[in-house]
Amino acid sequence: MNGKRGFGGGGGRGKAGGQGGQQGKDGQRRPMFRRRKVCKFCADKIDDINYKDTKLLMPFVPERAKILPRRISGTCALHQRKLRTAIMRARQLALIPYTAE
Amino acid sequence: MNRKYELVYVVSPDATDAQVADLHSQVEQIAQRLGGTIDKTDNWGRRKLAYEIGPHKEGTYVLETIDGGGELMKEIDRRLKVSDLIIRHLVVRIDEDQTKIERTRTKRTDSVRRRRVARGLPPDRQPGEGQRSDMEDDDRFDLTEVER
Repeated sequence: MNGKRGFGGGGGRGKAGGQGGQQGKDGQRRPMFRRRKVCKFCADKIDDINYKDTKLLMPFVPERAKILPRRISGTCALHQRKLRTAIMRARQLALIPYTAE
Repeated sequence: MNRKYELVYVVSPDATDAQVADLHSQVEQIAQRLGGTIDKTDNWGRRKLAYEIGPHKEGTYVLETIDGGGELMKEIDRRLKVSDLIIRHLVVRIDEDQTKIERTRTKRTDSVRRRRVARGLPPDRQPGEGQRSDMEDDDRFDLTEVER
């Protein structure tokens, strides 16, 4: 019963991710499971957050072109700070938008 | 007392190739006059701008890596501000960041090697060696799955 409820919760969150099977597994273990967020730059060992690398920065400025907060992306403080300067530089050069039109 | 700078400037799309080359030589001249050198030039070509700047929707991006002092960059900055053809430019000092990045990188590889040796493994990763990070990949941070 407990497991079933967990499943339902997982499905609700699945809207964003859509990895149903995996979440079901986690849901059985703990109904209120929250995926542990890992800093992308620490995990992938990216030392250089460069303003020229638009491909790297774009995921951190979703639709409205605002900088994705740490609490959502899970980026660590050090890398968020570097990310911020990189995004701001890229914006100056019109590589990344300030706002969505 | 030489520092490394990176200069990116966006040239108006109306400018011809000759004009872009001319701008480059102008920068080079200033650099030479004030005792600096251009290490590298990279023309990214025409790119769409992320937002409109005045009437422009596109621009030609040029990246220059310059070795020189602060006075030189001040002068270049001043000249680029005056120039009509240039819509945007950015000067960034890079030598300090580069050494920092280098240091963290060597530190990491060193510690990885030391730990591997301590475990009785060869210092470098062997091809086909299964590490946990490969298998856990999909369980990691991905931006599609945000919680609000």
